[in-house]
Amino acid sequence: MRRFVALFLALLCVVGLSAKYGGTLRFLIGVDVTTLLPGNIPDSISTIVGMHIFEGLVDIDENLKIIPALAERWEILDGGTAYVFHLRKNVKFHDGADFNAYAVKKNFDYLFSANLRNVGVYKSIIKEVQVIDDYTVKFVLFRPNSSFLYRLAQSTGWIVSPQAIDKFGNDPAAMSKNPVGTGPFMFKEWKAGESVELVKNPNYWREGLPYLDRIIFRVVAEDVSRVNQVRAGDADLMYNPPPALFAALEQDKSLQVKVIPTVRTIFIGLNTSKPPLNDVRVRQALNYAVDKEKLCRVLMRGLAKPSDSPLSSMTYGYSPTGGYPYNPDKAKQLLKEAGYENLKLELITPKGRYLNDYETAVAIQGMLKEVGVTLDVKPMEWGAYVSKILSRKPEDWDYQMFLLGWAPGTAEVHQVLFPLFHSSNRMDSPNATMPYNNYFYSNPKVDELIEKIAVEINEKKLLEYSAEAQKLIVQDAPWIFLYEMNIAAVMRKEVQGVKIYPTERVSLAEAWIDR
Amino acid sequence: MLRFIVRRLLLLIPVVIGVSIVSFSIMHMIPGDPARIIAGEGATAEDIMSIRIKYGLDRPLIEQYFRFMKGVLTNDLRSIRTERPILSEILPRFANTAQLAFVSIIISSVIGVTLGIVSAVKRNSWVDTFSMVFSLVGVSMPIFWLGILLIILFAVTLRWLPSGGKGGVEHLILPAITLGLATSAIIARMTRASVLEVLNQDYVRTVVAFGLPKRKIIYKYVLRNALIPVVTVIGLQFGYLLGGAVLTESVFGWPGLGRFVVDSIFSRDYIAVQVGIMLIATTFVLVNLAVDLVYAFIDPRLRRG
Repeated sequence: MRRFVALFLALLCVVGLSAKYGGTLRFLIGVDVTTLLPGNIPDSISTIVGMHIFEGLVDIDENLKIIPALAERWEILDGGTAYVFHLRKNVKFHDGADFNAYAVKKNFDYLFSANLRNVGVYKSIIKEVQVIDDYTVKFVLFRPNSSFLYRLAQSTGWIVSPQAIDKFGNDPAAMSKNPVGTGPFMFKEWKAGESVELVKNPNYWREGLPYLDRIIFRVVAEDVSRVNQVRAGDADLMYNPPPALFAALEQDKSLQVKVIPTVRTIFIGLNTSKPPLNDVRVRQALNYAVDKEKLCRVLMRGLAKPSDSPLSSMTYGYSPTGGYPYNPDKAKQLLKEAGYENLKLELITPKGRYLNDYETAVAIQGMLKEVGVTLDVKPMEWGAYVSKILSRKPEDWDYQMFLLGWAPGTAEVHQVLFPLFHSSNRMDSPNATMPYNNYFYSNPKVDELIEKIAVEINEKKLLEYSAEAQKLIVQDAPWIFLYEMNIAAVMRKEVQGVKIYPTERVSLAEAWIDR
Repeated sequence: MLRFIVRRLLLLIPVVIGVSIVSFSIMHMIPGDPARIIAGEGATAEDIMSIRIKYGLDRPLIEQYFRFMKGVLTNDLRSIRTERPILSEILPRFANTAQLAFVSIIISSVIGVTLGIVSAVKRNSWVDTFSMVFSLVGVSMPIFWLGILLIILFAVTLRWLPSGGKGGVEHLILPAITLGLATSAIIARMTRASVLEVLNQDYVRTVVAFGLPKRKIIYKYVLRNALIPVVTVIGLQFGYLLGGAVLTESVFGWPGLGRFVVDSIFSRDYIAVQVGIMLIATTFVLVNLAVDLVYAFIDPRLRRG
């Protein structure tokens, strides 16, 4: 009898959870897609749309591990300077072309020769791509690179149909309007500023997928309007609702709200090149003076988590450091030791680029007041702001503190530490390749660790180096470490199987609608 | 009449050139490097430099301007952000905005002119008070807020109408009413003032003294004269609406021109902003021309000249 009940329950579960085929999912996005040419994609919205049309050789899963995609498996040879990929057979592009080693080579040749926007991701790493046989392809690198597979999983590495490259390759706009990949959905129509429509790929190589017949990505600029459309049942899915509406959304019985941590960290950069912030005690004091728990709880309403490292806890290579727990007394004491008891500082911040960015700055202004620091908060428009803090001109380096976010597209440690903390990437170093170290931080020990991380393919050693580097950086405190962002998705109750990744991607490959 | 139209059309050329120079310089004066913004966070120095060279952003401003004007004349311009031909980006959005503007201006003219006439004729009655309160509220209510209220009432709560986006006629109703109500308030005030003024003219007093029926007086003697300034206001409002009603388009997710220009400014897509503003300026001039023609139709005295 008990067995029967168990069987019955199990059956009930299966029936209850089994996916249904068919239907259209309406996904609201805040801005229009920029381009659907993988090598040119600069933004996360285009990535979300594109990932349903295209696939790369490898992919990053929800736990940020590298998993096979169009490549079934791979070998790492010659001490990490060569990767041999064994490709999946019987995969076809949406236009009927075969997926094989020639298609892979053609894509990388195209990327390099057409000089697409994101070519920098590979140019300094990949020496050449060789076809071994129809379904084997070899990438030869200049030197070992620990982030190579992660970079391959980025949108730039998505494989486009060789026929499409032949037909439209000399015109990026035509390529962008005729995206042909191997993914679960095929491109149907893009109405500029309005919507992008995809339809099911009936020959998709993953058995039984996808479930949906159609996806419509619709552009709605205002976040309140996006929320209202989902509440009204005119749309099925949106992400990043305003935190103020969060509680109401969670109470709405027709909706489900999902919160997923991401690789994006929000921090305040401290210009270490000038007093008073060249004094490590002052920088540490600022860290102790900010109550991150409170920021996350009250201001972000749970849409963020305090951070204790330059890496988000989701990023590959993260290791906890303890960070700076809230301790205003210690902050006061450190400021006293440094001889700055009545400090005046200025913080510049974007307004509206990140969730509650300006509001966070103002809250911190209040917290710093408690320890005797007067903070002047100056909001700036995003375009002007970026030009200011990422300017290579010395006359622009007069800022003291700035609020910024960083999300490594590769989701791994090197793309955080190298651009942001290696001294070769300081704003004032002439040969910087990724000049994002705009707090003028340098620590020879950290440089050395980052260089080791770059070429280390032994996982255990890589994690050791990375933990040590994080510890040193936190000690040196070139940032006020604030929080890591969560991504919140709001969807209709009937929507199932949506996958949200810490890389801020949203996949509908396995989604279905229970209607 | 024909000479008048041709002259006005020729006047378009200096206006458009002037607008192009002004918008070109303003866009370049605001800080912010398009290459930097387009490349996205995490781009390498190499990526940014190659974008800059590709779009000639490293060249002197004068050269950039002439390249731009040449692109306009040869129809060879592409959006910096999307790399698509700029006209194929802008024209569909302009058509959307025109659709919305057209329906809104009809709604607002009907409501505004009716309310204005009624309240002028029945001055100081409850109808007058009501319509003036209505127009005061209409003028002072933020469009943004009104739009969201309408969405919450008609889309979220009652579910009678879609909450936004573009689709069938039903998608047009809420945004058109939102825009129309705000505009009708302005038109109602103008109509009322204008009708009152005409009612006080000597010739109207004379016909009143002749004992003609009131209805006939209003239609035959008052409206024709009173409507001239009203037509001006309607024309101006229509021009504004065609320029893109940014807030309404944002709230309702209406893929129009206004929102497009604003997004282009934020992404420093110079080409898109300049072409967008030139298009808006051109339509404004054309709408003004149309208004003048309507004047001439209403008031024969203006046909000479």
